[in-house]
Amino acid sequence: MNKWNTLYAGILLLALSTSCGETEVEEPEITLQAVMVENLHAPGDLMDRSTGVITEVRPFRYFSLEDNRVVDSEQGDWDIGFKGTTIIVNSGSSGPGTAQASVVTGTFDEITSVPSAADFKRDGEDGMAIPTGSGNGWYNYNPSSHIISPIPGRIVLVRTNKGNYAKVEILSYYQDNPPLAEVDPRTTPSPYYTFRFLLQPNGSLDF
Amino acid sequence: MCRINLNKNSFTRWLLGCFLFPFLTLASDPICIRDQAGNPIPHAYVKIGPDKVVPVDSTGSFELPDNLEADQLIEVFAMGFDARQIRVREISELSSLRLTEKIGQMGEVVVAATRTDRSVEDLPMPVTVISREQIQETGGMRLSEVLREQTGLQVVSDHGAGLQMQGLSSEYILILLDGEPLIGRTAGTFDLDRISVTNIERIEVLRGPSSAIYGSEAMAGVINIITKTNGERFAASLESRYRSFSTMDLSAETSFNQNDWSVQAYLNRFRTDGFDLNPDVPGNTQAPFQATTGQVKLGKKSGRWEFRLYSRMYREDSDNVLQLIENGAGRLADMSSERRDVNLNPTVIYRPNEHWQLTLRSMTSLFETHSLTEMQEDGFVVDAQDFQQRYHRTEFQLDRQLGNNHLLTLGMGQLLETVDATRYEDLNRFDAGYLFLQHQWDPTDRWNIVTGVRGDLHSQYGERISPKISGMYKFSEKFSWQASLGAGFKAPDFRQLLLNFNNASAGYYVFGANLVQEGIERLQSQGLVQQVLLDPSQFGALQAESSLAINTGFRWKLSNDLLFQGNFFQNNISNLIETAPFARLTSGQNAFSYFNVSRVRTRGIELDWTWRLTKNLQVSAGYMYLDANDLDVLEQIDSGELFRRDADNRTRRVGRSDYGGLFNRSRHSGNLKISYQEPLSGINLALRAIHRGAFGFGDVNGNLILDDPAEYARALTSWNLSLSKAFRNGLLLETGGFNLLNQLNRYDPTNPGRTLFVGAKVPFHQLVKTK
Repeated sequence: MNKWNTLYAGILLLALSTSCGETEVEEPEITLQAVMVENLHAPGDLMDRSTGVITEVRPFRYFSLEDNRVVDSEQGDWDIGFKGTTIIVNSGSSGPGTAQASVVTGTFDEITSVPSAADFKRDGEDGMAIPTGSGNGWYNYNPSSHIISPIPGRIVLVRTNKGNYAKVEILSYYQDNPPLAEVDPRTTPSPYYTFRFLLQPNGSLDF
Repeated sequence: MCRINLNKNSFTRWLLGCFLFPFLTLASDPICIRDQAGNPIPHAYVKIGPDKVVPVDSTGSFELPDNLEADQLIEVFAMGFDARQIRVREISELSSLRLTEKIGQMGEVVVAATRTDRSVEDLPMPVTVISREQIQETGGMRLSEVLREQTGLQVVSDHGAGLQMQGLSSEYILILLDGEPLIGRTAGTFDLDRISVTNIERIEVLRGPSSAIYGSEAMAGVINIITKTNGERFAASLESRYRSFSTMDLSAETSFNQNDWSVQAYLNRFRTDGFDLNPDVPGNTQAPFQATTGQVKLGKKSGRWEFRLYSRMYREDSDNVLQLIENGAGRLADMSSERRDVNLNPTVIYRPNEHWQLTLRSMTSLFETHSLTEMQEDGFVVDAQDFQQRYHRTEFQLDRQLGNNHLLTLGMGQLLETVDATRYEDLNRFDAGYLFLQHQWDPTDRWNIVTGVRGDLHSQYGERISPKISGMYKFSEKFSWQASLGAGFKAPDFRQLLLNFNNASAGYYVFGANLVQEGIERLQSQGLVQQVLLDPSQFGALQAESSLAINTGFRWKLSNDLLFQGNFFQNNISNLIETAPFARLTSGQNAFSYFNVSRVRTRGIELDWTWRLTKNLQVSAGYMYLDANDLDVLEQIDSGELFRRDADNRTRRVGRSDYGGLFNRSRHSGNLKISYQEPLSGINLALRAIHRGAFGFGDVNGNLILDDPAEYARALTSWNLSLSKAFRNGLLLETGGFNLLNQLNRYDPTNPGRTLFVGAKVPFHQLVKTK
């Protein structure tokens, strides 16, 4: 059902060779590569359209950034979860873990380290780490076209259960990541999350 | 010449009374004063030397006394015409004297700006008049078709055909009918298609919040629709137009005038099949609709008293089909809607003498809409909405003329408004009172100043003081410069205060500012609230949106036949009301309310050239440059917080040069009009090119602002042509078309493409007379 497509599995280690004539051995340099996750289907609750009463509560789709895979159970080792337009982190009111998140502004590439100003939070009664609602967190809702679009320049920084930092950029809410101009919210299947992330496994603040 | 006076007609009489020399002995044959078309001008007057006035009778004729020198200079004046000077020697050879109309409607009387009669050229405010002839020439049936051809005005589709002026949308434009406000707006838009044009005498357009007379809604300007008043003893006519899309407009008018009584009746029937820009999708772009307009105007003059009773009714029914998509399958639903509008407007005027005028007037209106959407298959009611608004206003106005260069106007009024609707709880009532004071002053022949202040007291948003000042300096008879500064405001409307809306299918709630506390308590008790984002008990009352505006420009009459006008404007609006979430619900959706959040600035230049090349040929051109920005967006751009995704899905910062300003505004717009009367056949030709520059239609790259080339609808020029021929007996035949090149734009749902029409006007009273 879900199409999985990992462009670069995890981390690529690039061992550096020594050049001739030099005897010193340089520190091995690790180049981190972003991972693309496509079409993570995370349908929202079913609702009776005439009364607004929720008729079927659906589970979140849990995802582990550390392992780059979907986790089946809430009790598992996941970092972030998706349902409809809501993205949760595994902590506080959302899960048993210790994951935290902060939404910052900038491009994916220019955020090369976790800014000191980033305000990492758990999910709680007094607020979600990734705020919900149009314009607050990761998406805009266009009231005239009814399209949900990721806000360009919003990057979600996540501190995983393991305590490593990752940066996440949501790219699309619609199946197969179509250009927004081609989305018809009545017919284009959603929610199908496409996002990319980059995890720094050594616990440092730099990506 | 005195420019300020309470009443232009009584002014002429007053002049006569003061200066007419009884000993003048009349001689010579009568001379008739006529316009260029040969029609007599009954309201002219003739001056001999500095202070003698000769009367002109109701047929436009006058006789000169016989004791005049042959070299004596005579001056002939008439409202709306260029004055003419002629020597006695020359005049004695003539049997008729022709006057030329002032170019560019400069001589037209405007009421809307000051609530007193003043001609366009004497007003220190940006005012234009659309005359009966111009309305006729457009060949239009509804008001939207006439206004969209004017420089600086755009018609934009948003819950109806809404007007846009100085970059501000319909909700900031006050629409008056014979000086009294029209009500009935949907999401702020006053649908111009509700107004038929065949009984309109002229339309006054006042730009900016420059007049002290008006309060809320007149932030971008005022449109005053003046309906026809016929002075003839008896008149009756039938007018009909038929055009593409099975659109038909039929009007009947009749009027009587006797013993100072006047009665006018008007009935209009309009129907159209509508049109469809997206045939693949069920339902029309414009729904088929039928509308009926009726108007009765009663008047009685009795010495110093004048009584008027105007009434109008409107009814419109429309039907359409809608496709609802559920789980990927389309199902059809029928939509039907009905709109009704009734107004009653009595006026009493008392003129004890030339220096005083007292006016008491009121307007009572009812506006109702009903709409119903039902599934075709099973008749399941998807949506049913009712809306009823009642409005009553009583106003007293006192005018006092002081000398011949001061005119003071004091006004006070009270208004009461109620609304009852499906989406609002209970019957809601607003009460308001206001006071305005205006001083028109001509300190010297060159200066012309209007100052004023209006105070509003409202049950919902408290008090408001709006001062205004306008001044004009005449450098010469040919060139004048004017500037006008004013504060305007717009009160929060019913929707923003009282809406109680729950979108069941999407799971969100919207509460008007007055209901937000109650709303959150209810949601909390139902256990639906996950988190309160903003505490409603901390909200202040919703403030009125307010603006500061400047309009400054010139009128340059290069010759009697060439006029160049320009106006620069800037409107700074703060406290703009928008929706924002205040609570997050357990469903993951939000509850919204209205807040004073945004700041907007619109500025631009309007330029108009009018050139009468010959008696039969006139060319005019208009242009507007518009720059309309959300100031908060500009701030975000400057601090580097706004991003965009390009076609390759790369994210980059939005720069100032990327930002296109507010949606639905054209940076460039303009028109070119050629009006020609073919002398042999007498056929009138009016060719107009109406240009609307590229405008942003909506966001496509996800950041909700206009910053991507794909977010613009392309520029479009509509070529419109009307041909008409008026016969001696008054019969008028016409034909023509709109948008002859069939330019279409899927982002402009008010434009059906090429439309052709034929029409005829039959004046029965004139046909009877000729027999």
